[in-house]
Amino acid sequence: MINESPRAGTKDIARAQRISFEFSGKAGEYFKIWIVNILLTILTLGIYSAWAKVRRKRYFYGNTHLKSSTFEYHAQPVQILKGRLIAFGAFVVYAAVDAVVPLAAAVLAILFVLAIPWLVIKAHAFNSKNSSYRNLRLNFKGNYTRALGIYIGLPILSVITLGLAYPAYMYQRAKFVVANSAYGTAPFSFSATAGAFYLIALKAVGMAIAAAAFLTVLVRGLGALPTTVAQPAPPVGGPAALLIVVGGILAFSAIRAYLDTAVANLVWSNVRASGNEFQSTLRTRHMLWLYLSNAVAIVLSLGLLIPWAQIRTMRYRLENLKLLAKDDLDGFVAREREKVSSAGEEISEFFDLDIGI
Amino acid sequence: MKVLKADFYDGNTSARHEVEIQFGPRGQLRISGLERELIVPLSQLQISPRIGNTPRSIYLPNGAKCEALDNDTIDSVLERYGQGTWQRLLHKLESRLVYVVLALVITVISVWGLVQYGVPALAERVARSLPTSVDETLAGQALSVLDHSFFSPSELDAEKQRELRTLLASITQRIEDTHVYQLEFRRGVGANAFALPSGLIVVTDELVGLAENDNEILAVLAHEVGHVVHRHQLRRLLQDSVTILIIASIAGDVTSLTSLSATLPALILETKYSRDFEREADQFTLRYLRDNNIRLHHFADILLRLEKERPSSGLGGDYLASHPATKERARLFRE
Repeated sequence: MINESPRAGTKDIARAQRISFEFSGKAGEYFKIWIVNILLTILTLGIYSAWAKVRRKRYFYGNTHLKSSTFEYHAQPVQILKGRLIAFGAFVVYAAVDAVVPLAAAVLAILFVLAIPWLVIKAHAFNSKNSSYRNLRLNFKGNYTRALGIYIGLPILSVITLGLAYPAYMYQRAKFVVANSAYGTAPFSFSATAGAFYLIALKAVGMAIAAAAFLTVLVRGLGALPTTVAQPAPPVGGPAALLIVVGGILAFSAIRAYLDTAVANLVWSNVRASGNEFQSTLRTRHMLWLYLSNAVAIVLSLGLLIPWAQIRTMRYRLENLKLLAKDDLDGFVAREREKVSSAGEEISEFFDLDIGI
Repeated sequence: MKVLKADFYDGNTSARHEVEIQFGPRGQLRISGLERELIVPLSQLQISPRIGNTPRSIYLPNGAKCEALDNDTIDSVLERYGQGTWQRLLHKLESRLVYVVLALVITVISVWGLVQYGVPALAERVARSLPTSVDETLAGQALSVLDHSFFSPSELDAEKQRELRTLLASITQRIEDTHVYQLEFRRGVGANAFALPSGLIVVTDELVGLAENDNEILAVLAHEVGHVVHRHQLRRLLQDSVTILIIASIAGDVTSLTSLSATLPALILETKYSRDFEREADQFTLRYLRDNNIRLHHFADILLRLEKERPSSGLGGDYLASHPATKERARLFRE
């Protein structure tokens, strides 16, 4: 560390420790927390869901270890409840206006679209500022105009270009999230290229084309049916239909597993903070196995194995995430704290906005 | 009190210090192992709630934090000084098997009740408060879309069409309903009939051909009118959206809504609701036929003939079928 040269990065990494993330969550223990969460949420007609969310996140954060320290989630349930009420209120206002003056509702809808970038920024800020490791918070600061271009501009461009711009959107989105985040005062940087995202998309498209025949039939079979007098005839006879459905599900899952795995590996392996690097080594085949076995287990257990599925998926993801640390991680420094409301996060969650990377 | 091992983080840097902590006789916390010993009264500490066996955070007034694993000791200190009662209760709920089993039973019963009675009742009440103009919006351009992709024009002669329209009018005249009923004829999808929420009913030429007399067609029309009167399309839409919300709240945000494990229960419920609607429409038919002294077997006859013409695929059995089993439906109409 003493003879630090301007291009010390690679050299340091060569001497770096490779530290694996560890996850100590247990399915049995989490099951109990999960079922009590659901019960109290039902008994309080949904109000407890804010407390449930905090307990769930605290459980997952508290069981995530890095170099014998754990993570902590700090959001206050009341903050989350307020955010949810605001989201619900916005929805009610919109529905009411839509019923009375549809034209005004259209204006509201446009305003809502313009608010999406702001919501995304607020959601990431809320999440980051309520996450800590070693008593130092994460942080997020994004620029609205930049977010507008990425979260509204690029999706529109993707539609116009028939999807050609979509990998660029994925790239910009990941970059926006990573490069605007910080741990204490140490900013994260993102070194992946748009080209790498295009390569992943190209492979996925190749897989999709191979499965395209299944897809077409599947879509035809699943349209909304009018209320008929007799059961409508299936598009194809019994065993053939079964084969197509199963084949289609397999193909879908495989493509999704590939995309999730490849994007997660690419993004994480290009994140850096103060000379520390990450490395993600997920494998598509294992991910596909997790997806399919989780789905079967959840269906056969009528949902009771959801906690088990969540725990084992999280364990696999974290055990394949490594930090190439240049030192003992003691040198990060805190920044001034500021409060941020949860409205952004809750509104975006309420309207199911995709804010992940 | 017991001496606990803990990690100390001052909140200014990420450095970790191993310390020993001990709660004193008045609840004050003594931290040793740093440059100088710290003693903080319990009233100034903020102790995080216990969740499973995740480490416990003890925050000092200056923002520093101690992380300790011995949850039981910390709980007993809090209990002695009458703090965190509510949190302890929650943890007790979450850790004792009998409470968990109880919670499981109550949850299963509530979810079942919600899905079986709550959601349909809610949807019905909401649908009843909405004007029929909503049904027209819902129907939208559905027929022209169907015409474009599935149907060809009817080859039924005008006389027969007029006769069947009178048949429909004879049903709709007798009920109090604000829908505008229309009957259209198409061919090309096999023997069937369906209703759009607006009151537009479509009967295929093949169905007219399959019917042995007009009473059979009358029964089929009554079934479709039943769907419209009871606002089934609107209620289906409402029920499906609520179902998705319920599933989302149970599954949590880790399983995304698009994943298979979330869509399958939604699909199963959707088809269950669909079968309930079919039964309701059949009940409407039954009442109509009885009230007008038309023999009930006509509906059973045409149902069985429809079934014979195209046996159901059997895929997924009862749970994934949009209609109840034909034999079961026909039994209702056997006198």
